[in-house]
Amino acid sequence: MTETVTWTCTGCALLCEDIQVSIGDNRIEQVEHACIKGRARILGCNEKAIPTVNGVNAKIDDAIKDAARILMEAKNPLLYGWSNSTNEAQMAGIELARTLGCVIDSTSSFCQGITINEILNGTIPTCTLDEVREKADVMVFWGADPMSSHPRHMSKYSYFPRGELRQRGYEDDRTAISIDVWQSRTAKICKNGFHRIPPGKDIEFMRGLIDALSGRVPKLSFDYDVKRILELAATLKKAEFGVIFAGLGLVYSIKEDIALLSEFMSALNQFCSFSLIPMAGHFNMRGFNHNLHEKTGHIYRVKFDDGGAISGVKYSVIEQIKSGADAVLVVGSDPIASLPVSISRRLKDIPIILIDPCMNLTSQVADVTIPCSTSGIEVGGTAVRMDGKNMDITSLVQGDNMSDEMIIRRIIEEVE
Amino acid sequence: MAVNVGKFIRSPEYDITVVTYRDVFQSFACEEDRNGKECEQLSAVIVLDATEMKHMGVQDGANVKLTSKWGSIVVKAVFSPREEQKGIGFMVNSLWSNALVSDETTDGIPEFKNIKVKIKVSNETIISNKEILSS
Repeated sequence: MTETVTWTCTGCALLCEDIQVSIGDNRIEQVEHACIKGRARILGCNEKAIPTVNGVNAKIDDAIKDAARILMEAKNPLLYGWSNSTNEAQMAGIELARTLGCVIDSTSSFCQGITINEILNGTIPTCTLDEVREKADVMVFWGADPMSSHPRHMSKYSYFPRGELRQRGYEDDRTAISIDVWQSRTAKICKNGFHRIPPGKDIEFMRGLIDALSGRVPKLSFDYDVKRILELAATLKKAEFGVIFAGLGLVYSIKEDIALLSEFMSALNQFCSFSLIPMAGHFNMRGFNHNLHEKTGHIYRVKFDDGGAISGVKYSVIEQIKSGADAVLVVGSDPIASLPVSISRRLKDIPIILIDPCMNLTSQVADVTIPCSTSGIEVGGTAVRMDGKNMDITSLVQGDNMSDEMIIRRIIEEVE
Repeated sequence: MAVNVGKFIRSPEYDITVVTYRDVFQSFACEEDRNGKECEQLSAVIVLDATEMKHMGVQDGANVKLTSKWGSIVVKAVFSPREEQKGIGFMVNSLWSNALVSDETTDGIPEFKNIKVKIKVSNETIISNKEILSS
């Protein structure tokens, strides 16, 4: 018998909660409303992970025991990944890190971590996507291309919907602006302006905008029509409910100058109401930051030691692989594919334990592979949307594998 | 006997900045099969301004070698359908772009979007992700 359910998609951090899925005989038969990323998540990978130890097929119990042995024998293990796991699995991971007295970090370490940190510390104002849909009249996609990264962002929340206070939607009631190094798919749609800036010049452009907001004529080192910045500042100042969608283009450019982003938001809010939402990628990247913050006061790059927890750049996944970790537990991530190759080569020399539903580049070099069920497809739980809203995640079908949470709890039992 | 002089002439090199970006179709292909041909074909590509490519003597679809201080990689060069900023090439974030990225950071965030490289036409073939990792 076929049953149709409403499902929350775990294809990205938008967590669209309106997907219709028909299920029959423990199989997904039909999906409606999902974007291409959601479809990819539902279809899953071609090659499922299998339990292995040293490249040889193993029993799952033996793989778990070997994983625990590697972690116990290591002097400085690193627990990494977590953005494709539910809150429940992330909390188990934090517990494991505390038990081992080791370093834990997530993919947010070189993604949206720095913006989420500012939001959780209260230095950057934020809002929910539901508020954006109902109220937002001016939006800036800065180094962000949701048409590629979050395909339903503009149709479900930001630009096209007829919101409560924005019944005329994108036609009359919403102003969309793109600031980017090239005319992205999103920039093509933003009818109110595309501001093309050179790579790495976001900070200078932001300072120019702060000047323009205050009525000063901005000075820029690159060729740019100053009149356009003044016009942009005037548009932003008129916002009743403005929002900056911060993409990786902005984050990677601003990095250590993140305080400038707070200054920019303060400058905007002297004239109008503006919030910022980080364009988190993986479905529960932000959840890890919230969960770790709740437990330690830090959002990432944490070392548990002597009952306390400290955070710093030296505990980032990048620095740990370069010069610290002597074993790595990877959960729901593929660092060999996503890190600079120069760092991946070093990672290959460190014992790796991978917990993942799929074979990937990391599984090809992992010492131990433990297959888990896919979060949001075969196991439910909770997650945090890109705007910080807590969401329930339900499973669709029964899988063959344990959840990542259950596997981590089994490892905790072994190491205690 | 005719002498192929061309093989003794080195292709000129040009300095460009590589900016990485996300592409939904590449993301879909790689999520399905990271070792698959489609993932490779959508990843091992650099997009450049058409006028600038012609100036460099690079044909649309030709292989080019990109070399940074941290590594080198051969990818396919394609014309951008739009006019782009000169001196900038765009690559989808992937293992091929990661081959060029520095491991030096002061803040734990590698420089994924502002990579200084030299580009030149190449007769070398594009290598697979497995070959990148073993090279």
